[in-house]
Amino acid sequence: MQFRLEKRREPSKAMLYATPVVAVLLTMVVGAIIFSLIGFDGIGAVREIFFTPLTNAYKWQDLGVKAAPLIIIGVGLSIAYRANVWNIGAEGQYVMGGLAATWIALLTYGMSGWWILPLMVVAGIAGGALYASIPALLRTRLNVNEILTSLMLTYVSVQLIYYLVRAPWKDPMGMGFPQTRRFSADALLPNIFPGTIVHAGVPIAIVVALVAWFVMSRSVFGYQMKVVGAAPHAARYGGFSENKTIWLALLVSGALAGLAGALEVSGPFQRMVPGFPTNYGFTAIIVAFLGRLNPLGVIFGGIVIAITFVGGEVAQTSIGLSNAATGVFQAMMLFFLLAGDILVRYRIRRVVPQTAEARS
Amino acid sequence: MSPELIIAIIVTVVGASTPILIAALGELVVERSGVLNLGVEGMMLVGAITAFLVVFLTGNHYLAILLAAAAGVAASMIFGFLTLSLSANQTATGLALTIFGTGLSALAGQGYSARPVTLLGPLFPAELALHPIWRVLFGYSALVYFSFALVFAVWWFLKKSRAGLILRAVGENDLSAHSIGYSVIGVRYAAVAFGGAMAGIAGACFPLLLTPQWAERMTAGRGWIAVALVVFASWRPFRLLAGAYLFGLVMTMELYAKAGGGPLSAIPAELWAAMPYIATVVVLVLISIRRDASNNAPACLGKPFLPSN
Repeated sequence: MQFRLEKRREPSKAMLYATPVVAVLLTMVVGAIIFSLIGFDGIGAVREIFFTPLTNAYKWQDLGVKAAPLIIIGVGLSIAYRANVWNIGAEGQYVMGGLAATWIALLTYGMSGWWILPLMVVAGIAGGALYASIPALLRTRLNVNEILTSLMLTYVSVQLIYYLVRAPWKDPMGMGFPQTRRFSADALLPNIFPGTIVHAGVPIAIVVALVAWFVMSRSVFGYQMKVVGAAPHAARYGGFSENKTIWLALLVSGALAGLAGALEVSGPFQRMVPGFPTNYGFTAIIVAFLGRLNPLGVIFGGIVIAITFVGGEVAQTSIGLSNAATGVFQAMMLFFLLAGDILVRYRIRRVVPQTAEARS
Repeated sequence: MSPELIIAIIVTVVGASTPILIAALGELVVERSGVLNLGVEGMMLVGAITAFLVVFLTGNHYLAILLAAAAGVAASMIFGFLTLSLSANQTATGLALTIFGTGLSALAGQGYSARPVTLLGPLFPAELALHPIWRVLFGYSALVYFSFALVFAVWWFLKKSRAGLILRAVGENDLSAHSIGYSVIGVRYAAVAFGGAMAGIAGACFPLLLTPQWAERMTAGRGWIAVALVVFASWRPFRLLAGAYLFGLVMTMELYAKAGGGPLSAIPAELWAAMPYIATVVVLVLISIRRDASNNAPACLGKPFLPSN
């Protein structure tokens, strides 16, 4: 029996939505087998990483807190990737957003007022968007590849944190630790449920995804992004400027990464520390793909990846599995998803070879 | 500056440049065949941990290099299968490979981070490198001489050999190459495997040539710099040699600026650490101002091959 791939007339909607789910399931099965083969407790690893965060209600608040920045950044990336603009430096834009918010928090240190936190958030958005405007400028003016520039700027931004917390922004009462002061009360993100760690970033993430979904599916902006990404030639005929799309894609994805940075530094971190870059910006790439580059799907992708993060921490303490296993599982999900993409565009047809007939 | 210091600097520059050069030469061949593999950093990390573990367990450096190359090929075949056989998006698959290699290497290296191994010794007998001047020529390990030989080999292959001509044809016009009867997918698989082997060896340079131990993410973005260098070199091997040494120089300046006093040490250490990445951006800008660079890109770079449509 042979199989042949046949191109579908239209991409299959069913496959489009089924592949992420299948990718997650395959990752569990294949992951359990591979981890067992190389000498780990494979079934235990899958149980702890994928199920414990869901069955243990105490972990749900962790899930929300981890999913929020992933969703916010992932929504921005999904818009950029739709337009075929490959911003992979969201981590750097997240860092610059966090630094911009920190700057405001330090300037207003000791002051009080309702306006401080909104100002930090605005600064964060501006910081991320400004940092993303460097690759945008270079791409539109000089045709420099945005993949490389946005990534290189990430490494630069991390060094900028190290410098700022070591010298000019260092906490004078910090006993020599390279970190800033803890922000004043009005520069901290409030918790929305007393007694938990769930901060205002969680509902903001949901709102961001909903607004982005509405804009992408109902507005000219969304249409422009999708057309330029899918059919650049047609877009040019239609009067959509490619450069304008590149600018918008990078500014929006940078702004959202910056927003996530501002929320993280004013929420969970409460101060700027060298460990602020936590790879949310890179992991959000997987989130965007798991979400099928659709803002609503990104909520699903963000929650799945948050489960693996929380579960990875569980597995570390319960079965002594390295945190690095989380990254392997996340990458496997993306591999299976990309492999499954072919089923969206093609269908598998069984081909009965002639020789088989002759034999019978 | 004393001659001793100058020689020490040259030796350090050579060490820093070698892994970037090897990885970039591999990627250059891959891109000439029309494929963009952004997984270099991940394949390098897989090579680095493999080389470290083999040396740690057997003490055999050459076996370590060989197996690091094999591990790089294995990692590259995940990319090859997804992008060539299943025509998945090359950018996304390359990124996934880097994420995968980072996680896999960290997982395999768990618990080995403080264990020292030995560096690969010089290729030539020590008597040849007694005098400092001779050390500049004969004092390096086999990996360094390999990287030089590789520049010539890749140049000769692409420019002079029949196989290289076919590879370039596949990268420039896959449909024509296909209609003449060459296997586009087969050629690209071979190129991707070669890129994987070179990335694996480049990764092996980190524990065998630079710091004799394992550290998570020890390649520190060098794989990405290698990808950028291919653009910088406008897909030509000898320009790649110049570019890799330019970067080696930038990275080495950081070490000497920190160590020796003088005006350079007033610059914050973090700015030095950021310098290779800033330099990459600056270099990308400079070559894009120069006209011919982007014109020289393989015409089919990054596009999936779909003969049936």
